[in-house]
Formats: sequence, structure tokens, C-alpha cells
Amino acid sequence: MNTQLWLMDELQASIKSALPDTEWQWLSEQVARIAADPQQRIVAQVFTSLPRHLKSVEKEARISLGEQYVGPNGLPLIVEGWPIVRLARVWVLMAIPKQERSAYIQLIERLFAYGEMEELAALYAALPIYHYPETWSSRCKEGIRSNIGPVRQAVMLRNAYPSRFLDEGSWNQLVLKAFFTEESIGDIIGLSERNNPRLAEALVDYAYERHAAKRAIDPMLWLLVTPFVDERAYHLMARILGESQTLLERRAISYVLKHSDFGPARKHVEGDAALMVLSDAAGTPWEYGWQDRTRYHNS
Amino acid sequence: MGQRVALELDLVKGFRFFDPHVHMVSRTTDDYQAMADAGVVGLIEPAFWVGQPRTGIDTFRDYYSSLVGWERFRASQFGIRHFCTIGLNSREANNEALAEEVMELLPFYLYKEGVVGVGEIGFDDQTAAEEKYYRLQLELAKEAGLPVQVHTPHRDKTKGTSRSMAIALEHGLDPGMVIIDHNTEETVKEVLDKGFWAAFTIYPFTKMGNERMVQIVKEYGPERIMVNSAADWGISDPLAVPKTAALMVKSGIPRETIELVCYRNAVAAFAQSGQLDERLLNEKIQIDQGQKFEGNSVLRGGQLPRRDADSIIIS
Repeated sequence: MNTQLWLMDELQASIKSALPDTEWQWLSEQVARIAADPQQRIVAQVFTSLPRHLKSVEKEARISLGEQYVGPNGLPLIVEGWPIVRLARVWVLMAIPKQERSAYIQLIERLFAYGEMEELAALYAALPIYHYPETWSSRCKEGIRSNIGPVRQAVMLRNAYPSRFLDEGSWNQLVLKAFFTEESIGDIIGLSERNNPRLAEALVDYAYERHAAKRAIDPMLWLLVTPFVDERAYHLMARILGESQTLLERRAISYVLKHSDFGPARKHVEGDAALMVLSDAAGTPWEYGWQDRTRYHNS
Repeated sequence: MGQRVALELDLVKGFRFFDPHVHMVSRTTDDYQAMADAGVVGLIEPAFWVGQPRTGIDTFRDYYSSLVGWERFRASQFGIRHFCTIGLNSREANNEALAEEVMELLPFYLYKEGVVGVGEIGFDDQTAAEEKYYRLQLELAKEAGLPVQVHTPHRDKTKGTSRSMAIALEHGLDPGMVIIDHNTEETVKEVLDKGFWAAFTIYPFTKMGNERMVQIVKEYGPERIMVNSAADWGISDPLAVPKTAALMVKSGIPRETIELVCYRNAVAAFAQSGQLDERLLNEKIQIDQGQKFEGNSVLRGGQLPRRDADSIIIS
């Protein structure tokens, strides 16, 4: 409870500074009202009508909070490049007090059922802060299936919920779908911790398919394969290394082969001075950014 | 009239268009692409009948959700701003049991971002049930401060149009907040005289042709007149607005007039909702390769995945 209050205070300060006094006053009054008595009708009305009341907010304006605040479930809320209205909506959701399980779930689920595009993005971005955290995994999976880009991204990227609460099969679907929809893979939280041989196998299959179709393969895919490089993965990577003109792809594969546990793969790079140079991670997305992103998972 | 004129959209190169009535759920990505190429920067999708009657409330809810969700996103991928109006259409107002449930549902959607009006509502067969739900929805619009998009009937149109306006006035609506749609030569004068907005639907065979539209603009001028396509699942044309503009250019109508009837008037009428920010439409036009639209990459990997319709190769 204390961490939640603290998080709410922190968000409050950010939102307050982004709004003129009259709009801030309206919003804080609504939040107080919801905190005191979270009636379905009021919650839905406030949640939906936020943009009508926060009129001065530039639609294109984005907000990022430097720190990542830990919410009531021990999961961080990562606010990066959010529309201000989304931040305000999540703050409203956090104000809903814990109540009897089925009532609380019904209240939130109803918002999902009627959500427009940006409301859905806010609702999914808020997965880390809902009460009864373990109950939201099926909702999380539903969001991953969404065809609406910003909604799907709100679940997949910079969201600490999935890596903590999804089972392995669903986690693997998230990662595969993220590659398929060409998301910024490094922004998925928990990639290292949740990496597993079944995922690596599916990613290698996917890479074969892309290669056969002569379509580009995101170099980040190989990074996930690193601990599980085997003959089949090595075979394709060596082939791409021989064909590819893309520097980042060549650097990724050289790095992965060199750091794999598969002997022939390591020798392939170590026996080639040019590949050794390419295998240096300096200045690549996998130099440290990737590790940084995931360190919050266990915090 | 009726003679074939080549498709010369070059005539309207550099124009911006806003189609205030088009049912995109029934259209393909090729249509979106063609609209974007022709200069359509924004559109309004009114809630309507989907070709056969719905039998349950959940299909209404899913339909409304798709207008504020998936369809909005689909349009954004082509750099087009998608707005909608939400309402119970006249045909389905005749299923009173279901209509009651829909009325309870409407407030959940009317206050959503990008919902620029209550629509399309009004008369079809001009039954008592249609009148009842038309009146109830006028009250909803008043309460929400939203413009109303009024569908006028195909049969007995002139009387139906007069009646729709009389009822709106009876409920105390400002005619400046009401867009009377599907006008003809027979209805336009009364609509304009009473201070309402007059929308014209350019739709082959059953509604207006654009040669007639040119004549109307010549006669009445641009004030409070707007053109739309109402393109849907029937034989219709999602490029009706740019094509009509091209025909107006060819007919010597001044550019300023064309901009008013094919863009500005509709934007002004629906901007009264507070949900249509014209600045966004202006920004949109600058969308170029690699730019972002509402935070998502429209052009994945810097390139809009454009289907080459003139090749037998699919890659």
C-alpha cells in the first residue's frame, strides 16, 4: 500500500505540472471521488471523458518519467513517450481502491469492453498496477492478440506485467508476435530472464521462413538464440553471414556465434579476424541497453 | 450529362479533402490507399446499418467498438484521421426491443475521443418507432453538446427532410449543430433557408451525381454545403469527394469554393464537437516516409507497404 501511495504521489506531481490549474483541479477532484467511492458509472465517465476535460493538452505531446516507479504489485510502471492523457488515465485507474475480487475485476473489464483505441492502450499499459495481479494474464494475452498497433505495443513494450505473469507458451507468443509485427524488440521487458530453448527453436524456424521468403530478419532475433545455438541455427547464421550486406545483421550474428556454447560456431568466428572485429558489441543495441531494460524485472 | 470524362485527379493535386460520411468498415485497404493518394486527410464514419439487421446488443457494441478502435487504427496506417458519429440508425430503430438496449449503450460511446456527433439518425420508412428514437437521440446529442448527422429517407424524401428539421427545432437544437444529409435539388433550399448544414452524397445510381452537384454549387454557392461519398457495401465510390472537386475545377468553380464544400465546411460543422482538431489534419499532410503517426510507425521500416496493383508479381 505504501509503495502504491508513493507511486500515486509521483505520478500526481508529473500530471499536475503538465496541466493548467483548472484542469488539474477537475482531475484531482475526480480521482478523489473515485478513491472514496468507485462507482462503475463514475469511473467509466471520468476515464472516457478525460480528453474532453483536459482540453489544453496537446494531442501530440508526449511525457517520459525518468525513474521507473514500482507499483503495488512490486512491478515498475515504465512511462516513456506516453500521451499525457494516457498517464492521467492510468492515474485514475490507480485511484480505484482494492475491493472484493469479482467486483474489482468486473469494474476494470467493463472499461476494456467499451474501450476506444487510446483507452485500450491506457488500460493495457496499466496491467502492472491492477490489484489481484495474477488474474490479468488472460487479459494480457488478449492484448497481445490485438491488431491495433498502439494497443498491442502498450502490452508488449515497456510493460513489466507479461514477463512476470505469463506462462512460457504465452510469453513465447508475445516475443514471436513482436518479431512478426516488427516491434522494437529491445523494449520488451524480461527478455533475458524469460528466454528459453522452445522460444529459440521457434525463432530459428521463423528465421528460416523469413530467409526462404527473402525477407529481412531482425538482428535481435539472433541475440535470443545465443544460449541455444545448435547445428540448425548455426547452419542458417553461417549462411546469412556469407550473404548479408547489412552491417548490423553481420555484427549480431558474429557476436552470437562467438558467445554461443556451440563449438563450431565459436571456431567460425575465432578463426576469422574480420568476424572477430564484427563480434565486438560496442555501439550496438545489445551492448548494454538490452540488459538495462530487463533489470527491473526482478526489482 | 452522362458523358464519360476521364479520371483526371491531377486537377486537384495539392487539395486536401475531408469526407464527412463514409463507411470504411465495408472498404478495402486499396480504397484507403486511393483516398490518401487523392488527398483525403480525414473522414467521418457514421454508425449505420450493416446490410442486414443485427439481432443482438453485443453485435452493436462490437460494431461501435470497431469504429473507435480497429477502424481508427486502420485509417491511421494510411495517414488518414478517422472520426465517427455514433447512433442508432433508422432502419434498426424499428426493432424496438433491441433499440431500447442500444439506447442504453450509446452514452458509453458518445463521450469517447474522436466521436464528433450523433449519427446517422433520422427517418427511413418514417414509422412511429423511427420518430421515437430520433427524438431520444436528439436529446442525447443536446446533452453531450454534439452535432447531429441526419439521414434523410430515400422514399418520400422531401417531406421526410422537412419533418426531420421540424423535429430537431422542436427539441431546441440549434440548426447550426445539425447536418442534414443526402440532399437533392428538391430539399436544399429549405435546408439552407432554415439554417441547417446541407450535405450531399455523391453516390452512383441512387443518390446524387456530381454533375448535378456542380450545378447546385453554382446556384447556391458554398455556404453550409458539404459533399460526401457515403461509400459502403453497395456500388459506391470512396473517391467521390476528390472526383467531384476535380469536376468542379473543370467547370470553372473557384478553388476557394471547392475547398469550402470538399473540406472546410464539414470540418467546421463537426469541429463543434470539440473532438476534431483541425491542426491535426494540417499536421497529417506532412506525414512522410519514416514519420510517426500517433506514436506508431505508419511506414514500417521507413516504407509504406504498397501493393503493386499493376503487376502479377506478389512479393
